[in-house]
Amino acid sequence: MISVENVSKVFNEGTAQAFEALHAVELEVSKGETIILSGVSGSGKSTLLSLIAALDKPSSGKITIGGELVSKLPDLHASAYRAKSIGFIFQHFNLLESLSVEENVIAPLINSGLDIVTIKEMAAKSMDRAAISHKASQQVKELSGGEKQRCAIARALVHEPELIICDEPTANLDRANSLKFIEILQSLYERGKTIIVATHDPLFESLPFVGKVVHMEDGIIVNREQGADQSE
Amino acid sequence: MPGNMIMKNAFLHFLTLLLFKQKGKHIGAVLISVIIIFLLSSVLFISSSLQKTLLDTLEYQSDFTVSRVQAGKSVTTPVDWVDKIIEINGVTKVAPRIYGRYFFAPREESFLLFGVDFFDEQSSKVFESLVKEVDLKSFLTTESMLVGSGVRSFLSKHYYKENFSFKTPKGSFKKVKIEEVLPSQSGLISNDLILMPIDLSREIFGLEENEVTDITFNVPNDAEWDNIIAKLHLLFYDIRVVEKREIKKAYENLYNYKGGLFLILYLVTIVTFMLILYQRYSMVYSTERKEIGILRAVGWSIKDILKLKFYETVVVVFVSYIVGVVLAYLYVFIFDAPILSQIFLGGANLTNHVTFVPVLKFGLLGSIFLFYAIPFLAAVLIPAWKIAVTPPKEAML
Amino acid sequence: MNEILLSNEVIVYLLSETVLYLLLFVAFLATVGLLRRWNFDLFTTEQFALENRSYLVMTIIFFVMLLKVILLPYFVYTIDKLSDLVPGAMCAAGVIKANVYGNPLLALKIIILFLSGLWLSMNSIDIKAKNYPYLKVKSWFFLLIFFFLSVEFFLDIAYFTHIETTNPVSCCSVIFGQTGGANGLPLGLDIPKLLILFYLLFVLVVLTVLSGLALMSIVASILFGVIAYYAVVYFFGTYIYALPTHLCPFCMLQDHYYYVGYLVWGLLLLGLFLTIDRAVMQYFFKQSSKNLKRISLLCLSLFVLLCSTYVAVYYFKNGVLL
Repeated sequence: MISVENVSKVFNEGTAQAFEALHAVELEVSKGETIILSGVSGSGKSTLLSLIAALDKPSSGKITIGGELVSKLPDLHASAYRAKSIGFIFQHFNLLESLSVEENVIAPLINSGLDIVTIKEMAAKSMDRAAISHKASQQVKELSGGEKQRCAIARALVHEPELIICDEPTANLDRANSLKFIEILQSLYERGKTIIVATHDPLFESLPFVGKVVHMEDGIIVNREQGADQSE
Repeated sequence: MPGNMIMKNAFLHFLTLLLFKQKGKHIGAVLISVIIIFLLSSVLFISSSLQKTLLDTLEYQSDFTVSRVQAGKSVTTPVDWVDKIIEINGVTKVAPRIYGRYFFAPREESFLLFGVDFFDEQSSKVFESLVKEVDLKSFLTTESMLVGSGVRSFLSKHYYKENFSFKTPKGSFKKVKIEEVLPSQSGLISNDLILMPIDLSREIFGLEENEVTDITFNVPNDAEWDNIIAKLHLLFYDIRVVEKREIKKAYENLYNYKGGLFLILYLVTIVTFMLILYQRYSMVYSTERKEIGILRAVGWSIKDILKLKFYETVVVVFVSYIVGVVLAYLYVFIFDAPILSQIFLGGANLTNHVTFVPVLKFGLLGSIFLFYAIPFLAAVLIPAWKIAVTPPKEAML
Repeated sequence: MNEILLSNEVIVYLLSETVLYLLLFVAFLATVGLLRRWNFDLFTTEQFALENRSYLVMTIIFFVMLLKVILLPYFVYTIDKLSDLVPGAMCAAGVIKANVYGNPLLALKIIILFLSGLWLSMNSIDIKAKNYPYLKVKSWFFLLIFFFLSVEFFLDIAYFTHIETTNPVSCCSVIFGQTGGANGLPLGLDIPKLLILFYLLFVLVVLTVLSGLALMSIVASILFGVIAYYAVVYFFGTYIYALPTHLCPFCMLQDHYYYVGYLVWGLLLLGLFLTIDRAVMQYFFKQSSKNLKRISLLCLSLFVLLCSTYVAVYYFKNGVLL
């Protein structure tokens, strides 16, 4: 369902600080597959993720998702695409600190045309799944790392996206919370979601539901491995 | 039901959320705005209230006032001019008047002393509202006068409680009873005013039987006005003609001028304010940029962010405007604008205790709103855009 | 001249126009940049920045147009107030005619509002597409509008700085009326024929809009607009003033007549704009909108109803027509 074709990304092009973060990357992800992007920081994982999520545009190449050419969408469409089809879980959570958990979770749906009652119901369901309902009206500022992560998960899943993207999700978590996170990922996999995780946490590579592990270094894919999940 | 729809509208819900939780961001702008609007509105309220009061009194004035001039100065006017004026076609209600300034010599204060022919319809009409409360019969049997509140307090200070003895030019004294004080609503006009029967005033000013200060008359058909002015100048070589329409214009311009000056002052303030606003909202605080980046990352389009910023600003504008205007209204019309009123009335002869008549014109409020809202919104527009196009990747950092 | 410039309303009005023109100038510069460098197929940072800049242009135009819609009645209100200062003027009509700039200014303002509205409709179609198909057309169109806006700004200043408070102007009865014996109606029409045209054209507009005949509805709307102007000034207005000789498009904006003038002209202009806007969008861009169509017809119908009601009320009150 995801097709990354010959994608390159150059930052600060035309200046002395020009820097090629990605070079001729090719990647295919099938629907319902779980992919791990591994590599040290600076290897280009985050950049690739942001391109797939239409958070940024490539300098060359094509990214097609579900038949839709995502790499060249004008803003109105790109944001609609993000709002509908992508659930992004950031490394540093990226929550609105001054708002409560529930308020963060409803944020993606505000412009969807739904009324607030329906939105709050959806948020309640999502917070439930992420096991953070008990903190719904608490300000995000006051949460622990693990709780913030769960809030971020609830937000990423509130609109039932098909594609879930995680950027170093366990980097700021302890082992117990990391395992809890993996549990949630597993349940998402079981519900047929497509998942891409960028991480250098070794916990992920041997998971039973991982379809592919892609190693990156200095902006290029250096290695691909089949994961434990052979159901292709 | 529309009420329900508003409640259920997710966007408004979220907007209210953000506004409440981020009050601090906007407090500065609201405060300065309220002060600016308050001052501006007060100035405009005062000037339009004064204008209305002046124009209202002008209503009853005659269309024309003529007097004799000598060496460019107004001097006493011969009463027999009245007969000649009556003969002019189109002229009605000719009435001679006696008035002038009476100087209270030891202290050099002066009052405006008006002689009214209470039996003459035209003259008495002008003062109708002022003398409404007075028992004319008793007033006219003794030699009495009506005084304004400023006069009254001045006289009391000098121990003249019931009567006052005017010194006539002939050297004699004329004792006149203080009958009533003129109502305070007319404060502006009547403050240093004394009204008395016309013959009494003639005595006090030492005018001869055939002299008056000036003559007023009406000309109902305004097409004739210019004609009649020409005729008057032909009849009397030493006549000065003052038209009501000129006075009206002068009054309107009087406060326009002062009001205009203030507005120019505000122009300067507003420009400064705009610059400050632009600066302030431009200092794209990294927190706000990050927040907007987060919203963009979860699917908010640039249009959505712009909508948010726009409504945010509109709320700030409206709240500041309403608070500013209400405060100004209370200040001017309930508390009678201490301090500012002195600036406007330019220190008249006696201390003025003026009550401002509430005047609320929709157009005035609209002008204040536009004057404030347009520069404000314009100043915030570009910073708001800058922040709305924050690339969502900002959230990744 | 000084008194004019120092009157509160004129200061506020000119300040507003200046601020808006400055913003529009920024939009103009941005648009020129867009025209020169836009290439949707490029993936450069510059192109991405240009897309952002196009948002600046549309935000400015949206904001400015919104305010100009408010400033138009405010302009008329300002002029009306000035009638106290200009000798001979009893309402805005006299003040508008105080110099040669008045009428062109007013007409230009209305035209600009129409054009800006069309621009915004076009823009909303453009950003919904996947590759900004109309960006170049939009930009050139804005350059045209900006030209008009510059002329308007110039006329604004020229007009207000050339109003004499010493020379008397004619009042509306002279400008519009039959006092000179002249017939103000075009093409030698008389009142009955004018009214027939008025109602017929109204029906024609309704029919062409409902049946989706875009070009026809544009033509019908424009014709209706012209005829409606004359009908209001020369017939319906007299019923608002209850005086057969009082012919004036501006007096009805005064508080004396409960400001009904704003409603009459507002409904007419809004209805005409929506009709023409929808027709243009349909014809050139194949976009139709049922809702807006309905609103446009509603406005025009209310307008016709309002005018006719004044006549009907008068007739019922007095048993005769003027």
